[in-house]
Amino acid sequence: MFLTRSEYDRGVNTFSPEGRLFQVEYAIEAIKLGSTTVGICTPEGVVLAVEKRVQSPLLESSAIEKIMEIDRHLGCAMSGLTADARTMIDHARVTAQNHAFTYDEKIKVESVTQAVCDLALRFGESVHDEEAMMSRPFGVALLVAGIDEEGPQLYHTDPSGTFMRYDAKAIGSGSEAAQSELQDKWYKRISLFEAQKLSLRVLKQVMEEKLDHHNVQLAQVTPETGFEILNEVKLKEIIDAM
Amino acid sequence: MSALEYNGGSVIAMVGKDCVAIASDLRLGTQALGISSNFQRVFPMTDRLYVGLPGLGTDVTTLYERFRYRVNMYTIKEEREINPETFAHMVSSTLYQHRFGPYFIEPVVAGLSKSPTGALKPFIAAMDLIGCINFAKDFVVAGTASSKLYGVAEGLWEPDLEPEDLFETISQTLLNAVDRDAFSGWGAVVHVITKDRVISRTLKARMD
Amino acid sequence: MDSIAHPTQRQFNPYSDNGGTILAIAGADFTVIAGDTRQSEGYSIQTRYAPKVFPLTDRAVLAVNGFAADGNMFVKKVKQRLEWYRHAHSKDMPLRAIARLIQTMLYARRFFPFYVYNILGGIEEDGTGAVYSFDPVGSYEREACRAAGAAQSLVQPFLDNQIYFNNQQPAPGTSHPVHLPLPTILSIVIDSFTGATERHIEVGDGLEMYVVLAKGRGVQGLEDVRGVQELSVTEEGERIFVIRRDLKKD
Repeated sequence: MFLTRSEYDRGVNTFSPEGRLFQVEYAIEAIKLGSTTVGICTPEGVVLAVEKRVQSPLLESSAIEKIMEIDRHLGCAMSGLTADARTMIDHARVTAQNHAFTYDEKIKVESVTQAVCDLALRFGESVHDEEAMMSRPFGVALLVAGIDEEGPQLYHTDPSGTFMRYDAKAIGSGSEAAQSELQDKWYKRISLFEAQKLSLRVLKQVMEEKLDHHNVQLAQVTPETGFEILNEVKLKEIIDAM
Repeated sequence: MSALEYNGGSVIAMVGKDCVAIASDLRLGTQALGISSNFQRVFPMTDRLYVGLPGLGTDVTTLYERFRYRVNMYTIKEEREINPETFAHMVSSTLYQHRFGPYFIEPVVAGLSKSPTGALKPFIAAMDLIGCINFAKDFVVAGTASSKLYGVAEGLWEPDLEPEDLFETISQTLLNAVDRDAFSGWGAVVHVITKDRVISRTLKARMD
Repeated sequence: MDSIAHPTQRQFNPYSDNGGTILAIAGADFTVIAGDTRQSEGYSIQTRYAPKVFPLTDRAVLAVNGFAADGNMFVKKVKQRLEWYRHAHSKDMPLRAIARLIQTMLYARRFFPFYVYNILGGIEEDGTGAVYSFDPVGSYEREACRAAGAAQSLVQPFLDNQIYFNNQQPAPGTSHPVHLPLPTILSIVIDSFTGATERHIEVGDGLEMYVVLAKGRGVQGLEDVRGVQELSVTEEGERIFVIRRDLKKD
């Protein structure tokens, strides 16, 4: 390992002679250990679905939070080191509120994603002899879902600070299988309800446990109600219809 | 705060075709506190001559009584009605007599003056508190809403208005000006002086 | 014979008042923003042509009045923020967002204010004409019309009467129009400034009237106006015009 990677995987802001930042690449690897997370964009809104891995029967499954609200018109799902995501979502929320305060309008989905990605590259930054604020890259990927004047949108961010817009995207441990399934099943005019069912079907395929309303979470962003995590009743309905 | 603004109130006079109009609000206050909404500060001096006395409330009463006395004495001694021009100079000299301890009033005079031929000519004038006269051909204003009155009058007034049109013009000017003045308003009174009669109307206004 | 030096207190006054007046009126699908061009200090005229009205975007025009140095600097800073916004969000800032931005910029200087009264005019995202007026520390509201500056007290009550029809009774069975046509508003603006010029020494020399037309609105009401100059490059989207008039120079 050390032979191939040499010493260039130590410093977070040191390029290897081949021009790589190993710590960032390792961080991207960390996401592949995370639970599978799916996002689907439709003309009616955006759907986010996550698998909640309940490691112990004593764990309160409702305490696992992998989908969070950024603003009324913005939601976010995560995979990887979820503790890191809290820092990013905090930043996203502050950015969104600051925008609303300063401009009296909703921030655009792309702008809030950009803000989160700006933060992702702050690792290793230090001023003079002060300690750097963040010592390593974030070990988490986000799916940012939202609606603005340009309609429903879905963005994916990774620890390198790269972000891209997707019609449908899967991240986490089962992402490869899930992504190819999304590529097969997604179509331009897919309805919100179809997207809800599709997201659960995709999760079901990559999950080890049997999918039920305890081990998945479903959320959506629509023009009518904004961001909302679907309650148990609604979730059950979709699982039954699946 | 200036004594001129202590009780509030505004007066305006305008020239029309063979007529003049004079109008005032009806508020009396002490600074921001409203006291009365029926405080008269425009008074008839003769059948065709009115004087408006915006300024310190106590001086309104005092000066009115003074002018009434002086006009009566003039009428008795001269055995004729006082001319608006003559009256204006009488007001002016009365004020200037108190050059260094003035009445806090900026009077407005409006009337029809009789020329040697017997024809009636519109006359208006305004003064500062020490009697400097402004003989205007169009309109004169005074009181706490004076700057507002100037602005509206400059936009609404035109030459040779008939009595009814002059009434509308002076009423609109006064009402809209006093609505933007915290110290004037609370009702208004308008007198249009024509050759054969004086039309006096009390106007409803915003009471805030 | 003072042989003992007394302590004297000196004070630098960072502000001055440069006179002038600005005014804006909103129509249904257009807005007129106007200002005179005289700049004075005390009884001296510094220049007879110092613009107080500035186009910001394709659909927003800002008029600034008060302390000219602060006003010009403020406009510069607003323009800079609009440029940053364009880069960050790849669009022009909407009018109501500019209005809010101006509030936050003014309030940021709550304890050393820009000595400026702002009136922002333009077209809202829904295509309606809009006027926003501000105090020097950022209080603001959307209105149909507003005058500010040296002759505010002269012009505002005239506008109340002519735009809001205050103290006027509509003819039986009719009601006052909510929005007036463009030619009517232009004449009210011109009358307001000639009136203010007549009675206020700090107002005069020149008049600049900016007209912002909503997207898709024709130029009806402007065809017969003398010396209209179009500032916008395309006929798509909102269009901005400027009309200049002389005012008395005495």
